[in-house]
Amino acid sequence: MNAVHRSGSWDRRRRDALAGFAFTAPAMLHTLVFMLVPAGAALYFSFTEWDMISPARWAGLRNYQEILFDSDLYSDFWKSVRVTALYALLSVPASLVTGFVQAYLIDLLRRGQAFYRLVFYLPVITAEAAVAAIWKWLYDPQFGLINAGLEVVGVRGPDWLGTPGVVIPALALIAAWQSGTAMLIFLAGLKGIPRTYYEAAEVDGANRWRQLGHITLPLLRPTTFYLVVTGVIAALQVFGIVYVLFGGNAGPERSGLSYVLHLYLFGYRNGAMGAASAMSVLLFVTVLLVTAAQFRLVPRQYEG
Amino acid sequence: MRALAKWVAATAAAVSLAASAACGGDPPTDEKVVEFWYYQPTPEQSKQVKELLKRFEETEPTITIRLTEIPKDDYNTKLSSALGGGRGPDAGYLDQPLMARYANAGQLAEVPAGTITESDFYDGALRTNKISGKLFGIPLQQTTVALFYNRKLISTPPVTWDELVAESARVRRENPDLAGVNVPKGEGFGAWVFPAFVASAGGTMLDEGNRRIAFADPPAQEALAMWRKLLESSPRQITNSENPFHKGLAAMMFSGPWEVLAIRQQFPQLDFGVAPLPRKDVAASNIGGDNGVVFSKARNPDAAWKWLRFLSDATHNAEFSNITGNFPTNRKSARAAKINTDPAFKVFVDQLETAQARPAVPEWIQINDEYLAKAIEEGVDGGRSPADALADAAVRARKLLGWQ
Amino acid sequence: MSAARTADAVETAVVTAPPTDLAAPRRRRQRRRDAPIALRATAHVLLIGGVVVALAPFVWMVATSFKQPQDVFTPTPGLLPTDARTGQWAGTFANYLQVLDLGGFAVALLNSVIVAVVLIPGKLLLDALAAYAFARIPFPGRDALFLVVLATIMVPGIALLIPKVFVTQELGMGDSLAGVIVPSLVSAFDIFLLRQFFLTLPGELEEAAMIDGAGRLRIFWSVALPLAKPALAVVTITSFIFHWNELLWPLVILSDQDAYTLPLALQALAAGRVAQPHLVMAGAVIAVMPVIGIFLVFGRRILDGIQLTGLKS
Repeated sequence: MNAVHRSGSWDRRRRDALAGFAFTAPAMLHTLVFMLVPAGAALYFSFTEWDMISPARWAGLRNYQEILFDSDLYSDFWKSVRVTALYALLSVPASLVTGFVQAYLIDLLRRGQAFYRLVFYLPVITAEAAVAAIWKWLYDPQFGLINAGLEVVGVRGPDWLGTPGVVIPALALIAAWQSGTAMLIFLAGLKGIPRTYYEAAEVDGANRWRQLGHITLPLLRPTTFYLVVTGVIAALQVFGIVYVLFGGNAGPERSGLSYVLHLYLFGYRNGAMGAASAMSVLLFVTVLLVTAAQFRLVPRQYEG
Repeated sequence: MRALAKWVAATAAAVSLAASAACGGDPPTDEKVVEFWYYQPTPEQSKQVKELLKRFEETEPTITIRLTEIPKDDYNTKLSSALGGGRGPDAGYLDQPLMARYANAGQLAEVPAGTITESDFYDGALRTNKISGKLFGIPLQQTTVALFYNRKLISTPPVTWDELVAESARVRRENPDLAGVNVPKGEGFGAWVFPAFVASAGGTMLDEGNRRIAFADPPAQEALAMWRKLLESSPRQITNSENPFHKGLAAMMFSGPWEVLAIRQQFPQLDFGVAPLPRKDVAASNIGGDNGVVFSKARNPDAAWKWLRFLSDATHNAEFSNITGNFPTNRKSARAAKINTDPAFKVFVDQLETAQARPAVPEWIQINDEYLAKAIEEGVDGGRSPADALADAAVRARKLLGWQ
Repeated sequence: MSAARTADAVETAVVTAPPTDLAAPRRRRQRRRDAPIALRATAHVLLIGGVVVALAPFVWMVATSFKQPQDVFTPTPGLLPTDARTGQWAGTFANYLQVLDLGGFAVALLNSVIVAVVLIPGKLLLDALAAYAFARIPFPGRDALFLVVLATIMVPGIALLIPKVFVTQELGMGDSLAGVIVPSLVSAFDIFLLRQFFLTLPGELEEAAMIDGAGRLRIFWSVALPLAKPALAVVTITSFIFHWNELLWPLVILSDQDAYTLPLALQALAAGRVAQPHLVMAGAVIAVMPVIGIFLVFGRRILDGIQLTGLKS
């Protein structure tokens, strides 16, 4: 009996191993071919001079050196970094604040929560290409809906996408319009705060403002942190919207030249694939650092 | 649904091709297939190109040309990535400034001697095919820019730079809601137009023989300063709207023949004229256009060259370039073409006689789009002096080219 | 650090918040006492204002798409397709017919549907298979393999763009819908999500099935998958929205106009030399409507799912 059981268990283990490998094989093979090999290739190409139409030539660290330090050859690299940083700096708070206000107001309601949630999420599920096309037309300085609306209240609207200093704020407005993700996750956070906290505060005579400042916001810190980190990571990779809005020209005085657009233009238009690969590696390292910061800093659980 | 039918046909063709490949059967040896890539024309133009192709295939029954249409903005990207992946076409368009890069990479086949008679072609267009003295392509069509003006606002088009600046200022003075000129911006297009003005002031962009950058010399500085002057009477706030000239918001613009058809179709109420680009010292213009090339890995290069010769010969070149909204590169064909009877197009044709080919260095697109565009933006819209802005661009170009 | 512990750490790093546990049954709503009626009314007023702002771009998109070309560029833009001079109704379907046929949107729509119909089920199957094995089947090297999958979540997609194009072309899938579909067939994040779900399944069901002599594949197919429907629904919908809208990958992998998906067709139309907002907006409506339609039907469930997982679509 005992022996039979043991052999059965051995048999089962063998079959489990077989099943485990078989079940995971397609996914692992795919990961190897489309993630690990490309990751290795990206690293390799970043050390070469390569234009896709002739064989890659080894260039050592030259790409990195030139991208980071040669402002003649890569005159807009740091500009693209600044543009992207400014975009993250404006768009992430814009969408977070909007999303929080929406969530907070929705959470107060007894009826209609589902409706508002649905409406505010619509802009998030809209294709980037469509979002850009729509907003390009909304922002038209002469015939756009926005400046026409401003005119009604007596304000002469700026040339949104034509004035260098206004381009990134205009992009941040689009991000605020797309606040649905933040709204949804803040709403989940709000609903997760135990009622007893508020009851205790009310006994102490704290009004809603004080409750907001002393209970709600502090307890939403992990949620906010999560949204900031994922938002920043996404903002660092912004491409579709600037590409459709500005194409290869990247906007007035290249004020919409995001990091990835710059990378794309160098790789695919100027034929500098080696340099573009090096830019990819630099982006990867940056994202990794942001993720590591999240891992180090984020509180894992609610306190209490 | 024409497009849908086309899709079904293409898919069916792909499936049958895959099937025949799977059976190991090559197409019959006497049939020569050429895969030809070109920019996506409008659907109407696409139909006409196919009719032209039918006539070619009637004269060459053993040759089959497979046309692939690709959006213009993505063409260069797609081509390099397909050739890099080893699945490129046999032949296709190649943008003039890319000739050097592809030739140097060994991707282009040399034009076999005797395929064309060089003297038949406009010099500016032909020269874009010569890399280190060798001919790597046949010019198929060319284009340039001229001055468009709104007849309601401007009675006689300006001929000189001074007149241009004065007219622009007058329009703005008399109509505070309008701009004088839609001044080109510091981007690829503006940098492409710029050499025409530099040449008019007696300058050039590069001196390739002596490995010297010339676009920071006084003629280029004067050209940039003139554009900057134009901006004073041409606020961007007005011209940044879509199609400011078409909508009557800007009295003038520098643009190409493609606008003629677009305006006639979509803005029929606009009364406009076309005049040569205003000049400083000499008449000059820029040039753009496409060469037909055969790639070095082509399966049937002879068949491909026959097709390219057909598109560029005296009989068909004008018709072909007319379909795509460009101009013939073959002089004989140009003389016979009906575009000569259209006064708007005639201006462009005449102006092409003074066209300056772009420098034949592989890095030109990067110099154009990254460095020159930036200099134009800084020198026109930004606060920098034209001399400083261009000098910076020259330093960068020198470094990129290795012309220390 | 052992592989298992690293996996654990990465896991925490990857999905730290929202603190709602995906696997936990939804907590019973602990509602606060209702806010005073005046406050609720104010909230409604503010939110309605927000709704107007959120929807105005869509309304204008639809309105422009029905306008005739000469009514588009008017100094006082109207929210209805009316004649710019007379103010009479002047809506037209012509823009749609034009983009569908000549603009290539009919072909693009078909291509987008093909991609969705092949990609989504294929992806669900591969991801669920792997996730199930990682969650429920003990086999040697499991933790190490899972760690590899987890690690790839952190790689930004764009960083691998260029070599991925290279690999895809080397495999002979450049410039084809296969090149759009195959490289997206496995998603590490979805494997992670589904694994978390499978971890919570009670083991008794599997034991019972095993005693009945069922193999792993059978258990996966007839026990685990049906139970995982809620999680699969979340993955289905978020994947659909993501891939339907995706621009960059198709942009770099496809050349031939006839293989274009909707976002690409829209991008090509919007990038035209002469601006035609009425056509672009008609194209945008075609690209956006399927997603919005599905969203309006399943919206509530989708949002609950997303809220639960903290997934960013």
